[in-house]
Amino acid sequence: MAQLPNLDNAPINISALRERAQKDLGAILDSMRGKKVLVLDPQLSGPLALIAQTSLLKEHAVENLFYVSADPVQSECKNVVYLVRPQMALMRQIAAHIQQDNQRQLQKNYAVFFMPRRTIVCEKVLEEEGVLANITIGEYPLYFIPFDEDVLSLELDNSLKECKVDGDTSSLWYLARAITKLQEMYGVIPHIQGKGKAAAQVSDILSRMQREQPRPPPASARLPEIDSLILIDRQVDIVTPMCSQLTYEGLIDEFLQINNGAVELDPIIMGAQQGTTKKVKVPLNSSDKLYRELRDLNFGVVGQVLRQKATSMKQDYSDVTNTQNQSLSDVKEFVKKLNALPEMTRHTNIAQHLSTFTTKPSFLSRLSVEQTLVEGQSYDVSYECVEEVIQRQEPLISVLRLLILLSITNNGLPKKHFDYFRREVLHSYGFEHLFTLNNLEKSGLLTKQEMKNNWQLIKKGLKLVPEESSDVNPTDISYVFSGYAPLSIRLVQCALQNDWRQSELLRLLPGPTFERFDKNQVGPAGDSSRLVALVIFIGGVTFAEISALRFLSAQEGMKYDFIVATTKLINGQNLLKTFIDDPSAVH
Amino acid sequence: VLLRESWGYSQNLEQRSGSALQGPRLKLIEQASELYAHTKEHTFESKATEEQAKLLKLQQELEIATGQPIFVDSSVSDTIRTCISLGNHRTAQRIRVEFKVPDKRFYWLKVFALATAKQWDALEKF
Repeated sequence: MAQLPNLDNAPINISALRERAQKDLGAILDSMRGKKVLVLDPQLSGPLALIAQTSLLKEHAVENLFYVSADPVQSECKNVVYLVRPQMALMRQIAAHIQQDNQRQLQKNYAVFFMPRRTIVCEKVLEEEGVLANITIGEYPLYFIPFDEDVLSLELDNSLKECKVDGDTSSLWYLARAITKLQEMYGVIPHIQGKGKAAAQVSDILSRMQREQPRPPPASARLPEIDSLILIDRQVDIVTPMCSQLTYEGLIDEFLQINNGAVELDPIIMGAQQGTTKKVKVPLNSSDKLYRELRDLNFGVVGQVLRQKATSMKQDYSDVTNTQNQSLSDVKEFVKKLNALPEMTRHTNIAQHLSTFTTKPSFLSRLSVEQTLVEGQSYDVSYECVEEVIQRQEPLISVLRLLILLSITNNGLPKKHFDYFRREVLHSYGFEHLFTLNNLEKSGLLTKQEMKNNWQLIKKGLKLVPEESSDVNPTDISYVFSGYAPLSIRLVQCALQNDWRQSELLRLLPGPTFERFDKNQVGPAGDSSRLVALVIFIGGVTFAEISALRFLSAQEGMKYDFIVATTKLINGQNLLKTFIDDPSAVH
Repeated sequence: VLLRESWGYSQNLEQRSGSALQGPRLKLIEQASELYAHTKEHTFESKATEEQAKLLKLQQELEIATGQPIFVDSSVSDTIRTCISLGNHRTAQRIRVEFKVPDKRFYWLKVFALATAKQWDALEKF
């Protein structure tokens, strides 16, 4: 397992969150005596690697680690601990394991732990399979997983789709529960703002949870470490994830997919010898000092910065070799700098690999299509562009991204075009995508035009496409998309500037806008110190948006530090993947 | 209305899990199309399912004619592409008319198909 991200520089003490998760995990493993094997839900292994290293498992007498699959667990060990998400398919597999053991007359102890909580449905499945009696059932209440010093995620892959298409709002409940847990540790957040339907729902559940729980006596109530909570429903801003991210981190995610804070690369990219085929896993978080500098920059600048670094290093080197009278401390300084060398090579390699994608004409033309769509000026041109990519049968997801952009920026497509596009998609990609289209329509991503289009108003009012924008010396968050300022982050700015309720513009966006103060709380104690705002994106957040928030908090006159929390770190690619109905999955 | 829709759905689901024999599948698709046609909002879905049934029949014929199991379950565009790269321009033309394929798309497909099949002189002529 990779190293854990360093959390020391967090605006609030996030490592406490991880320590608690580690302690809980230990307690679970200890609940069964003696040596044991741990059987993991394959989905969980990535997130758990951010919590604990293998050594922790060994400390708690875990002999071996398996993944839940159709094959039986190959171990003679008498104690088996399952750690899974509450999903019915997994339950069936576990039941099958146990039945097989029973047939072979093996006596074992089983424990199933659900993360983050048990559900009645799952227990019912186990009961129907006739194995419930053999199992000890428990919970592993891990909600927010710290990804970095300012990023928390629940890692619920399908949250947006479940909410908007299936009507399954359990992820909202999990989120509210996660916030409650944060409040237990860092104090009750006094000020809540939100936008969008799901945000309102979360806020309702949250206040209900607060009412149900007895409040600690005022004397022991500590001062809140988080001053403000901003809830944003992803549905309010679908445009942003549909655009191609142009920050360094965002591009890595678009092309190479960042999973659980790490990216897997072909060894050839990293300059390894031919013959090795094992993928290299590179952790990407702020423990890597160089990455910390680079991640939020527009990719156009990354090359320059790397070159500068390299030249300054060369300069240092020639200084060391030329001058005779070197004090030892100078040499020491230099050697220290050399330590950064592996990071340099690593990022030069990655950046070079990325530039092979970004210089492709297809990528550039795609960017210009996105730009025209967001500007929303010439419907006909963009209409033809989208038509062309469908007819050329480019990858379905990237086509859908453009189609959705077209739909959202026009507040739905005119009926004639709507049917035309749907027909073209079905003809080009196959009939089974009727269900995908249906999902998209249900969730409002791809719709028929019914009302007047107000994207222009929104765009102008929130300055989504500022006239001047520089990627090299950014003065505005629009640099993360080279000219488009993410709507969601503009909302955060609105929230902080206190024109939340009044603004006419916000009314143009879907879902309710609300604001709530906790009267029982005293206001923030220190006035000079920096404030902390927790920004939660319900339904996922992209890396570019996180970069934009970091940029904001580094601006002069901004007194907030941001912590970003979300149900899942996303990009357009993996977000839309959840909407595609896979026929082979239904069995 | 909702009931009918969901029924249509479940019919479709069954169809999607796909049996090797196309006969029962066809029947289900036609049924689904009818169900969609019962309501006003689903005219698009109804038409799409109807087309799919038509396509499936056609693909079946093609498979029998060519003796190669490469047609069933591919989309309209892919079917045209396969036809062209096999040199079967007449069927391609027929699909184009039957499914009202827009000219632009048809020419894209033709260019792609000819290029992949390395029929450069045909491409030249066209």
